[in-house]
Amino acid sequence: MKPVTLILRGLLVLAALLVLLPLVWTLLNAFKTNADLLVSTPKLIFAPVWDNMDYVLGRRSVSRALMNSLVVCSYAVLLGAVLGVPAAYVIARIKNRATQEAQFFALSLRFLPPVAVAIPMMVIWLGLDMYDSRPALIITYMTITVSITIWLSVPAFERVPIAIEEAARVDRLGPYAVFFRIALPVAKLQVLSAIAFSFILVWNEFLLAMMLTTSRAKTLPIIASEMSQLGMSVPWGILNAAVVLLSLPPLILLALVGTGLNTAFSKKSSE
Amino acid sequence: MATVECRNIRKCYGELEVIRDFNLSIQDHEFVVFLGPSGCGKSTLLRMVAGLEDITGGDLLIGGARMNDRDPGDRGIAMVFQNYALYPHMTVRHNITFGLERTGVGKAEIERRLTPVVDALGLAIYLDRKPVELSGGQQQRVAIARAMIKTPEVFLFDEPLSNLDAKLRGHLRVEIARLHKTLKSTSIYVTHDQLEAMTLADRIVLMNQGRIEQMGTPEEIYSRPATLFAAGFIGTPNMNFMQFEVEGGALRDGLIHLPAPAGAQGQVTLGIRPGSVEVLPDAAEGSLPALVERDEFHGETRLVSLRCGTHSLMASVPAHMALQEGQELHIRLPEDKLHYFDTQTGQRLD
Repeated sequence: MKPVTLILRGLLVLAALLVLLPLVWTLLNAFKTNADLLVSTPKLIFAPVWDNMDYVLGRRSVSRALMNSLVVCSYAVLLGAVLGVPAAYVIARIKNRATQEAQFFALSLRFLPPVAVAIPMMVIWLGLDMYDSRPALIITYMTITVSITIWLSVPAFERVPIAIEEAARVDRLGPYAVFFRIALPVAKLQVLSAIAFSFILVWNEFLLAMMLTTSRAKTLPIIASEMSQLGMSVPWGILNAAVVLLSLPPLILLALVGTGLNTAFSKKSSE
Repeated sequence: MATVECRNIRKCYGELEVIRDFNLSIQDHEFVVFLGPSGCGKSTLLRMVAGLEDITGGDLLIGGARMNDRDPGDRGIAMVFQNYALYPHMTVRHNITFGLERTGVGKAEIERRLTPVVDALGLAIYLDRKPVELSGGQQQRVAIARAMIKTPEVFLFDEPLSNLDAKLRGHLRVEIARLHKTLKSTSIYVTHDQLEAMTLADRIVLMNQGRIEQMGTPEEIYSRPATLFAAGFIGTPNMNFMQFEVEGGALRDGLIHLPAPAGAQGQVTLGIRPGSVEVLPDAAEGSLPALVERDEFHGETRLVSLRCGTHSLMASVPAHMALQEGQELHIRLPEDKLHYFDTQTGQRLD
């Protein structure tokens, strides 16, 4: 191996460790007792305990927040996909002033600082007497899921060769059949990745949830953050266990659609 | 089987008119090739026949019925695309049968029709593969099979061979010709390759800038090109052109003296194919002195660049005729092989 290659490999390993070590550390700490945690030299070898996990999973607030997160995110993502994917197809296929503006509008939703959305939303939901409810959070989150689904699905549909759709029209397919039978299956992987990414974004969302919920509709990130305020001393083990629990669904999703997600972001053509 | 008729067809993109007043009548069973340089409107025209492009004005009739407003699927056509346009998510078998399934043909009937088509194109072993696992030539065979199985009234080919390498192109060209012989479907074939046009066409429609430049059998267009454009576009190597001023009923400069065609005035362009230029070792009656400038070996023949007075021209000679650059020789331009064109209008003059 050439020395340059060796150095570059070393750099890669270093970069990977920079990303992975804190995660591994969090994972380990989730299974430590406070005695093992609060030592000046981090322990790698220790007797793992389930106490932290048990505590987190055993709390009613956590299980309710988990349900809230699952329901709110699933609906927001589902509705975002139902609205966003066909919209992306139209934007990709019909190029005119209106669709260009629509595409930019979808992106511009993400330019707004969340606080600028949260305060008016809070007023609206309070006025409608829907504050601190799942539907309110679902509809608010749809602004995120719809815009991300559109933004990431447009390039996916643009990569479907137009000639394939023309061949389908010659094969007697109408516009809806062309979308469902041809364009959607061909762009499937990247569209799914776009949807998965929108799920991860709303799953991790903190600020809007904090401002729009007080008790009933609290999501997992809110509960996880509350764990840090449990007492005089920070309960590190419990906090770490909550973080691990919170990270699992996005990680599983990433593993499932990881490759597709990568192509959706880099503009490489997919075969 | 059906006729195709274009009556005063126009196509505009906004203000820009790309095809104007296009009239063409294609007979049943006929194989017509639209030939022309890129941007001449030949593909646009084919796509209008297919229904993939709106017709701005005029009428399109297939089998006597007006088709302007019908969907592509209801025109009785099948199309083969330049980049194959196979459905990437379906197997080869499904690609071929998909169109039939959509029209509600029964499973047993589809199977019955699949076998001969697959056999004719040698696709039997690929049926369960996906298009990405096939080479370009195989993919285009699948595309042809997909078109064939529908037994369309009219076959449309949009530059089907231009993405393939030269050897495969020749091979598939022969195959398309053979298929047309057995199926006898009316076919429209778009290409910019004159060899494909010459070998496949019953009739060539030579197009330039949205108009028909000349229409006729390959022989007619080759032996009597109607315009300067047709003369220059058809034939490899290209025809030689020499410009003359008509003076007193003759074309002449210091060296060349030829009778002008009747009624010729002003500028006249004289054309002769390199293969028609006779190269003589010695001076003879009516011969002209010429100087060899370049000698290209082409295998069977040599292509020689000659300078003859103020004109330069190419001559195609048998490969065994050894010529040196700078050598002086004599050429003759046989009168029956000369083509005269009006330089201004580009029209043929006899």
